[in-house]
Amino acid sequence: MTLDFVEPVVFGVLAAGVIVAGAAVVLINRITAAALLMAFTFLCMAGMFVLLGAETIAAFQVLIYVGAITVLILYGVMFTPQADRPYALFFQKQTPLAGVVVAAAAIPVLLLSFSFVGAVPKPGGDDLPALATSVFVDFAFPFEVASVLLLAAMVGAIVLVKRDEDSEARR
Amino acid sequence: MSVPLGAFIAVSATLFFIGTAGVLVRRNAVVILMCVELMLNAANLALVAFSRRYGAVDERGSVFVVFVFVIAAAEVAVGLAIVLSAYRNRPTVDVDEIRAMKG
Repeated sequence: MTLDFVEPVVFGVLAAGVIVAGAAVVLINRITAAALLMAFTFLCMAGMFVLLGAETIAAFQVLIYVGAITVLILYGVMFTPQADRPYALFFQKQTPLAGVVVAAAAIPVLLLSFSFVGAVPKPGGDDLPALATSVFVDFAFPFEVASVLLLAAMVGAIVLVKRDEDSEARR
Repeated sequence: MSVPLGAFIAVSATLFFIGTAGVLVRRNAVVILMCVELMLNAANLALVAFSRRYGAVDERGSVFVVFVFVIAAAEVAVGLAIVLSAYRNRPTVDVDEIRAMKG
């Protein structure tokens, strides 16, 4: 008995998770629930990376997206307390126009995406050595630029949210 | 029987357009940041899938995904800082009501 049917079934479950949870992020009114659904979308996406044989990327996905970015977003939700808005004020005024534009862009792209019929090669596993060689040999300079970018982002975020001591004291 | 490449690309495109719709229609600045993260993640899936199928050099697509992770982390940190400082000036995260810089 072969287990060939397992991969499409797992893919279907993960794809349903990604799309349903992603749509719920846009449609749900409670912002904390939206943040947690976003984390669920990222987890399903990590499963997709495993199906594609990119285990290292899946691990980074869980660490960075599900761990760090979700926690940052939840901090943002916590620091900007707000009542749940009435559903009428939920979407912006340009919603119908935005829907038309997005549909006009999405339908050709989705039709085009189904033209890729070739099967993805079976994952070989153990993608870390090749990834590390690429990052630290071929892409060493962009790697350094990325670390400078992260430093700049960290300093910028601290400066932006720092309270102005002088104006606080004057008040 | 393995999953065709088009299925991965279709999921990626669907999630990307869900994120686009969210950025365009939601009023809450924090939710807009979440939708931008969804779009970045959809692009990651397309990068990994195409590099699996067509990549001549191993793991080149994964390298780009690592850099997208870095950009996403920097973007969400600075974006949330901007949202928080805007919230401190006027207690709202509704992007329709933040119009101090509107020309």
